[in-house]
Amino acid sequence: MINKSKIYTVSEINSLIKAILENNLPGRLTITGEITNWSTASSGHAYFSLKDENALLPCAMWRSKFSRVKFQPENGLAVLATGSIDVYVPHGRYQFIVDKLVPAGVGALQLAFEQMVKKLQAQGLFDEDHKQPIPKYPQRIGILTSESGAAIEDIKDSIWNRWPCVRLFLYPVPVQGEGAAEEIAAALRDVNRRNKKLKLDILIVGRGGGSPEDLWAFNEEVLARAIFDSKIPVISAVGHEIDTTVADLVADARASTPTKAGVVAVPDMQKVLGDLENYESGLYKNIVLCLRYGEQQLDETAGNIIDAIKQFLAERRERLYKNYEQIVKIEPHRLLGRKTVDLNNWVNRANTAIKAIINQGQMLLTAQTNRLAGLNPKSVLQRGYSITTNKRSGLLVRNAKDVQIADYIITELASENLIESKVTKKQNRNK
Amino acid sequence: MAKNEKKNDISEMSFEEAIRELTDIVGKIEQGKIPLQDSLAQYEKGMALIKHCRGILQKAEKRIEKISKEEQAE
Repeated sequence: MINKSKIYTVSEINSLIKAILENNLPGRLTITGEITNWSTASSGHAYFSLKDENALLPCAMWRSKFSRVKFQPENGLAVLATGSIDVYVPHGRYQFIVDKLVPAGVGALQLAFEQMVKKLQAQGLFDEDHKQPIPKYPQRIGILTSESGAAIEDIKDSIWNRWPCVRLFLYPVPVQGEGAAEEIAAALRDVNRRNKKLKLDILIVGRGGGSPEDLWAFNEEVLARAIFDSKIPVISAVGHEIDTTVADLVADARASTPTKAGVVAVPDMQKVLGDLENYESGLYKNIVLCLRYGEQQLDETAGNIIDAIKQFLAERRERLYKNYEQIVKIEPHRLLGRKTVDLNNWVNRANTAIKAIINQGQMLLTAQTNRLAGLNPKSVLQRGYSITTNKRSGLLVRNAKDVQIADYIITELASENLIESKVTKKQNRNK
Repeated sequence: MAKNEKKNDISEMSFEEAIRELTDIVGKIEQGKIPLQDSLAQYEKGMALIKHCRGILQKAEKRIEKISKEEQAE
């Protein structure tokens, strides 16, 4: 391409240099440097130079690209500029045509953040199976944040508004600046070490919104490791909704802002009160069902007894008639008329009496089961019944077999009265 | 006897433990297969647990305590 013996025109050599540069440099590259000679032309294009200790690079940024820059560039600012090298043939000058400009500080932080995420992710620090569940009804919550920031107030309010019956413990730590990450990490390890005494159910680590530099402590490895190692579940509550920090990724749960900490950490009191009410009415409904079921069993048993009595009566009557027939055979004339009447009377009276007893029994049963179904299940005791338990086993005594001689039994009477007695004798009333 | 022990147990229960026990009892009674006498005892215990839970919910001190770096009885 280059011919040593050829004589080039100025235009030709400039074009050649342009072609060589364009062919040998990457189409797009990023250069770090400090802005100098900044000027914005009336056309909207920006002209400036990037420099370091030893060199200067002329730069231009066209209006369409410059309008997308979110910050105000100024002399002395360290930046990362991305674009391409261009040779301006008419002037024989080369310059850097910038299409993207970011402050070097933020760019560096962003890069560091991404590298940290990649590194810790590879080491499994963000794995779901390492996340500890957040206790449903915490009683003691530790908060690691600045004593003076707005975050502590936000966290406190967001928790107590939902769940007032939780005790909060503030562990004051610096949340920004040199050494903040180390101090928060040390505090995390400290409360973990002392948690036998502190008995914290949850830790909240956070701070309010700020610049990326302000939030930086929450991206540092030392803090990520301390969160990962915490035996107490950790909730992160850092910055604004849009901020994501390494602490958020490694924490067991994440609140998008300190004001959302309560939603993540504690249940809603109103809902829990509603649940309790449901349990209460459920218990009552079901205990009444239980009693009704018992009542039904009693009814069935009563029916069985009545049937048995009827059968017994029928058998006796049959035997009476047999005896009667034999008597009639022996003394047919004298006894017949009167005894027949007597016998019929006797049978009728017996039937009436038994029916009355059964009716009375049924009424009594109904009255009693109705009372059983009343609100206080212990009302049975008011009626003179008692509950006997074996002191040794703690089990209810239903049968003499449930106790042994010399066992102590506890008899529970109405009004929470208890009697303790010793078993001296066991027997069946009918034997 | 066991009754007093039970009460002591309940008063020392955390909210979480009490709720767990409560749902347990509600479930058992719902199945309806426990003897009548036991169901009364369970009912009574369930009610005591609800009372205990409500008691915990009412205990709102709203006081923030400070933990300092130095070893210290909190």
